[in-house]
Amino acid sequence: MSEPLTLDLLDSDGAIREALDEGMQGTRSELFRKAIVGGGTFLAGGLLIGGLPKVALGAPSAAQDAEILNFALLLEYLESEFYVRAVAGGALSGDVLAFATVVRDHELAHVDFLQTALGSSAIAKPTFDFKGTTANQTSFIATSIVLEDTGVAAYNGQGPRLRKQTLGAAASIVSVEARHAAWIRHLAAAPAYPNAPADYPAPAVLDPALSKAQVEAAVGATGFITG
Amino acid sequence: MTAARRVPGITGLAAALAILLLPAAAAAAQEDFALSEPGAHMWRWATVDQRTFARAAPNPGARVVARVSTLTPEKTPEALPLLARREVDGRLWVRVRLPVLPNGTTGWVLRDRLGGYQTVRTHLIVDRRRLTARLERRGRTVFRARIGIGQSRWPTPRGSFMIRNRLSGFNDPVYGVLAFGTTARSATLTDWPGGGFIGVHGTSRPDILPGRVSHGCIRMSNADIRRLDRRMPVGTPVSVR
Amino acid sequence: MPDTLSLDVIDADGAIRETAAAAAGDTRARFLAKAGLLGGGLVGSSALLGLNPATAGAQGKSDIAILNFALTLEYLEAAFYTEAESMGALDGELALFAEVVGAHERAHVKALKAALGSNAVARPRFNFRGTTESASGFAATAQVLEDTGVAAYAGQAPRVKSTAILKAALAIHTVEARHASWIRDINDAPPAPAVFDSPLSMRAVLAAVADTRFIVPARRRRRRRPRRDTPPAPRFTG
Repeated sequence: MSEPLTLDLLDSDGAIREALDEGMQGTRSELFRKAIVGGGTFLAGGLLIGGLPKVALGAPSAAQDAEILNFALLLEYLESEFYVRAVAGGALSGDVLAFATVVRDHELAHVDFLQTALGSSAIAKPTFDFKGTTANQTSFIATSIVLEDTGVAAYNGQGPRLRKQTLGAAASIVSVEARHAAWIRHLAAAPAYPNAPADYPAPAVLDPALSKAQVEAAVGATGFITG
Repeated sequence: MTAARRVPGITGLAAALAILLLPAAAAAAQEDFALSEPGAHMWRWATVDQRTFARAAPNPGARVVARVSTLTPEKTPEALPLLARREVDGRLWVRVRLPVLPNGTTGWVLRDRLGGYQTVRTHLIVDRRRLTARLERRGRTVFRARIGIGQSRWPTPRGSFMIRNRLSGFNDPVYGVLAFGTTARSATLTDWPGGGFIGVHGTSRPDILPGRVSHGCIRMSNADIRRLDRRMPVGTPVSVR
Repeated sequence: MPDTLSLDVIDADGAIRETAAAAAGDTRARFLAKAGLLGGGLVGSSALLGLNPATAGAQGKSDIAILNFALTLEYLEAAFYTEAESMGALDGELALFAEVVGAHERAHVKALKAALGSNAVARPRFNFRGTTESASGFAATAQVLEDTGVAAYAGQAPRVKSTAILKAALAIHTVEARHASWIRDINDAPPAPAVFDSPLSMRAVLAAVADTRFIVPARRRRRRRPRRDTPPAPRFTG
């Protein structure tokens, strides 16, 4: 499939890269000018007083998009490394191995896309310790379900904070994560159907959204990120 | 993996529909699936999207029982009660009640000649002895009226039929303010223009009801036909007992 | 499982409220107003999509059109699964899929209708042309419907103006993707066939839907006749 998500689409006015690559000083007035031209919400609040727009202000902005994309990149680093190690580790077989191989490639491509979008503003890849969950098929499956479900909830939580062009890109990624989630859920529990509705590929009418703080807490609790 | 992926849409659905036309490897006889379940107060009907032949058996070579057109004589969409469905050689056939003589005739048509399936839970029961019409919804009586039916030389036929259209705005006191057409045919007035179909309608002569007064139609007062209209959709089965 | 879209469900984590709180000073009121959340203490309530009749007027025409587009697709999916469940052609996991996913789509219909109130389009008439009456036809059609639904929601998400509606749309969007993955799995097709899922425009989706001919056009009014003409009387036996 040719990419619907070119970097141009995502960062058509270069605002993301500009906001983060260059020193804040030089671009402050430029950013204000763009913000004012762009839509007025920046006129309110403490913007013109305190300096650069705080990302926490909530209104969509290139700088906020960058922060959110880096958050997404962190999660994609985590997932891709998890699958890379699981596939290489030799503990997976059959349909589960096939799943992990495809998903690994997807997550690596997502990493690549986000790194390109963020340019030199992209965070570096952390170091990971997956605590044996990539070395055992049962643990792998359980962990994968959590990672994919959490990824969906993370993207859905951040989606409304993104500028529209970035949201388009995020939407094209989150549905793939949801497909992954359903796929591994099916692998894990299909023989038990129709029992175990909580284990269905689509366990609920709506997918929940999690805040950044909640996702960070959940990921932190795993201890997978070591540096 | 960044393989190109075709966008879902026309091609996908056309392929999906094409699957239906592939003949099965073996034409295994299958039990018919009931499309109407009177015991559960559920009946299905459908319009006719494409004129076709109804056959004695679900195969293209079987004897033709009747032509089926898309419109009634009143130029409303033809509507048929659906009895059962069977898949034969990868094609779906539906057994329908036909609006032909003798009353009660059924035949098989290809499912794809029919419109979408409609479901009704109402049932009009005509008692020719007591001269009453009763409408049930899910088995509960929600309407009752005294009626006129056919004189003995032009009897209202016994059997299972269906309301197939609803006509109003015309100017004929014989039919009152509202008339419903059914799939029932007079067995005696076979040369009647328009085919001799039995209707359920109002009247300008409620004074002669109840009674055996008509050429076969089921008549009720205008007030009653209006009440019935509020509760009885087209497609409602009619049992004349 | 919830059968209505409520702000509590969508904003279980408080993300809306988080960003709202972060807005300083009087931008809070403006932010909330923009998000359609003002009125009647809706934040934290279980009002559908965070809208009540008082703020329903705050929905722009464009968001109403998007919601009605989504509602139409959900009507179609819900009717498809509902009919399939009663046509006796499915068993095993296909039957379970129809039951579970049908329940989801019916819930989506209910929620979107409630959000639209009197602006909701009516349910169309459908003709599923046999696709609900054979296992293979059902399976193939369900896959295309779900994949199309995913692409439809992805196409509209960037166009939604109201934050509350966007949150609901995103929550439905990924559930449709789960459906798509599941039926593909059942069909032995790749559950996640691409790195990125392509969005489709409203026009493209409507064209694809029109090509199925599943939606029966509303019957045109009879040829208009001059008022003074009355229709002919029926020719029943009388």
